Amino acid sequence: MATERIAFLTQMVEVFTSTVSFGERLNNLVHLLARYLKVDLALYFGLDKAKETLVLNLSSQGPVAPHLRLEFPLGHGLVGEVAASRKIKIVQRSQPGVLAANQPLEKLHPAFATLAGFPVADDNFFYGVLILVDRQERGFSQAERQNVQLASLMLAGTLRQALLQEEAKKRIAELSVLFEVGKALSSTVELDVLLERVVSTTAKVITARGAALQIIDSVTKEVRVSSQYGEISKSCPSPTDILAVPTSPGELPYLQGQEVNAAGNTHYFLAVPLTFKGQFQGTICVYDKVTANGQYLPFDPENRQLLYTMAGLIVNAIENALTFKQVETLAEKNERMVHNLTVLQVISRALLTTVQEDRLLEIILQGLTLERGLGFDRAVVLMVDEASQSLKGVKGTQRSDKFKNLPLFEALLAPLAEEVKVEDWQIPLRPDQGALALTVLQKRPYHVQGAAPEPGGTKVLPPQFTAPEFFVAPLVVKDRATGVIMVDNGASRRPLEEEPLHVLQMFSTQAGLVVENAHLYSTIEANNRELLLIRERMLESDRLAALSSLASGMAHEIRNPLVSIGGFARRIAKLVEPNSPLRGYVEVIQEEVTRLEKLLREILDFTGESLGFYGDHDLNKLLEDTLLLVQRDLEACKIKVVKEFSPMPRLHCDDRQIKQVFYNLFQNASQAMHQGGTLTIRTYPQEKEDGLYEAVAITDTGGGIPLEVLHNIFNPFFSTKDYGTGLGLAIAQRIVSRHYGQVEVNNELGKGVTFIVTLPVAKYCLVKEPGHGLAQASTLKAPKGGGR
Amino acid sequence: MKKILVADDEMSIRLLYSEELKEEGYEVYLAANGKEALDIVNKVPLDLVILDIKMPEMDGIEALRQIKEKQPDLPVLLSTAYGEYRQDFATWASDEYLVKSSDLEDLKSAVKRYLKE
Repeated sequence: MATERIAFLTQMVEVFTSTVSFGERLNNLVHLLARYLKVDLALYFGLDKAKETLVLNLSSQGPVAPHLRLEFPLGHGLVGEVAASRKIKIVQRSQPGVLAANQPLEKLHPAFATLAGFPVADDNFFYGVLILVDRQERGFSQAERQNVQLASLMLAGTLRQALLQEEAKKRIAELSVLFEVGKALSSTVELDVLLERVVSTTAKVITARGAALQIIDSVTKEVRVSSQYGEISKSCPSPTDILAVPTSPGELPYLQGQEVNAAGNTHYFLAVPLTFKGQFQGTICVYDKVTANGQYLPFDPENRQLLYTMAGLIVNAIENALTFKQVETLAEKNERMVHNLTVLQVISRALLTTVQEDRLLEIILQGLTLERGLGFDRAVVLMVDEASQSLKGVKGTQRSDKFKNLPLFEALLAPLAEEVKVEDWQIPLRPDQGALALTVLQKRPYHVQGAAPEPGGTKVLPPQFTAPEFFVAPLVVKDRATGVIMVDNGASRRPLEEEPLHVLQMFSTQAGLVVENAHLYSTIEANNRELLLIRERMLESDRLAALSSLASGMAHEIRNPLVSIGGFARRIAKLVEPNSPLRGYVEVIQEEVTRLEKLLREILDFTGESLGFYGDHDLNKLLEDTLLLVQRDLEACKIKVVKEFSPMPRLHCDDRQIKQVFYNLFQNASQAMHQGGTLTIRTYPQEKEDGLYEAVAITDTGGGIPLEVLHNIFNPFFSTKDYGTGLGLAIAQRIVSRHYGQVEVNNELGKGVTFIVTLPVAKYCLVKEPGHGLAQASTLKAPKGGGR
Repeated sequence: MKKILVADDEMSIRLLYSEELKEEGYEVYLAANGKEALDIVNKVPLDLVILDIKMPEMDGIEALRQIKEKQPDLPVLLSTAYGEYRQDFATWASDEYLVKSSDLEDLKSAVKRYLKE
């Protein structure tokens, strides 16, 4: 008996000190015990982590099949009782209540008769219960009990060792994980990279299927940055969501839960807040803990603890990265601002080089589209037209590579390389006419983006302006929008950046002022020119008045002696022999006198000596009559006459003077075409602002008037001809203006000249005649008393 | 022989007109101003009068008025160195308004017309 016992103990010590795995050792211990005590079964029930249930871990018959993993709650059955009392207890099947309490054990041993329970514990811990089962009713001797107790201690020792080793392994793993995390976090200050590493490391460390992180702006409550890794089954809860969950005192806040998705799979998540400077400003969340065989499990408190530890590390790293990024963004922003302000300054300098509105607009457009400028793809200026209450396209341009190598200032002053045609744009200034009209009406910029409907509804932009977004800023002067600047990135489809838009807004104010000043300047200049012109005309009319009175006085004084000289010369001519040399002399006198007399007549005509007869005449007939007078000249020069006469109402005029006008114009034309040509005479009614006019266009093919003399042709005494007085056109113009009409010249150098004479059809002299009907004529009534 | 009065302050014109008209077979009377012209009109039974407009003492317009008052049927031609007034409140009463010219054909044909020759 004693030798058996010694052999048992020796074997026990051998097993206990063997180098096989803990599992093997435990199995061997149980097996040994069963053999030594000659019982049918030796079982070990371990207390689970919650310390509520005892689960069958070991059996002397070998590995325990999953369906035989019996469980006894603390206090239930012999297993539970021994665990609760920590004392040895031996029961027989025949005792009342034993079978009922230990029914599950029948699965392992249907015919058990004796059950003996021994607590497995050492000085510090209780690990579980050792149960011995036998088919016979039997007891256990003191020695046997001592040996079982000894075996229990060894079992406890082995379990303790196993536990310690497991814990040590876990610690090492945890430390190495934290080392990995720390390494990952300190390796970069690039926020995006850092966040990516944080979530991927977190997921890997916790063996989660996915992880997500977000940081909330403490002021706006909007998500500042976020990152995710792997598969996530729901969005990252916000810190406020987590804090709303009640926690027991001393416990850090967290949010844990599970969701069943549409496919019926259960997903787990665990989120803890990230604390910046004592404030909760972010969340880190892990999803679905994955086991080695791919099952999803809920997260346990250890995971939570690890997540907390990691959160502490992460926060610092992210905070650093965030600060770095902020500094970087600020620096970048500053740099861009400095660049933009420099650009603005250079543009301002360029704008100072001119006061011409057109040039200023070009500089502005260059500034907007140059790569070194504000860098938009396209820019257009539209100005408000007060008269029509609409916006009209003035000028537009698009980016050109032509100026790439030019310094900004020079490029600004260069003429536009690629103009965009916008002159036919016209947008009524109504609120339903889109963003451009609204910009003027509300004096505020608009940033129109993408598919979003344009404010104001209707799309009024021409089809070539269909960029996904555009920006319009008003040109505001003294609280009045005088126009708009519109920019887009139509060609490259780059999104419009914020900074250039701010600069554009600043710029538009300056541009508005500059354009307005130029506009004022050009108005002043135009007024000035007009005043000069009026002054010149007044001077001319003064001069002409003086010339008139002088001329008529002179004419009178000169004509008498001329008449005598000429008259007597004719008389002498009659007396002189046909062959006498005097005959030639006398003829010269006669011719010269005739020439002077003609000049006198023209001067007197010009100075307005003549008073005419006014009557109602047919303009076409007057032209026909005049043509008869010049017919011989025209034929001599081989000039073809083309007549395109429209039926005309009667014209109230001095027929003789009007004929003089046409005569002069025909003379001019025939002199211009002395080598032959075509004289085209066209008559047509013309509606002008102040009423109905009759127009006569006389076109020659004489090559046109040289530019250097064009401005002089209506000046009295200006003549390019070798003969003549130069009064022809001056007289024609005088007569026409006396009739309240106008003479216009259309000069086509190299081709010919068209003189257009327009004469007003005075309403009172409009008499509708059958066959001469003009639509308008019938609506105008002659006063009673007839045509005069 | 038809009697014609020529009134002009310019001696050379008087001479030219009288030579030309005499050649045409008229009897020509001469006056240097309106007053002299009226004297002759009052004394001589004339067939036609040619008056210059601008003359000293009495101009042609006044002479025309006075002649037409007394002898409305006597043809009076105005011959002037001014531009072509043609018709005017002052000259309306004359039978013809002629601008002086070294070519006297216009004058002579007008004279013939009024003397019904």
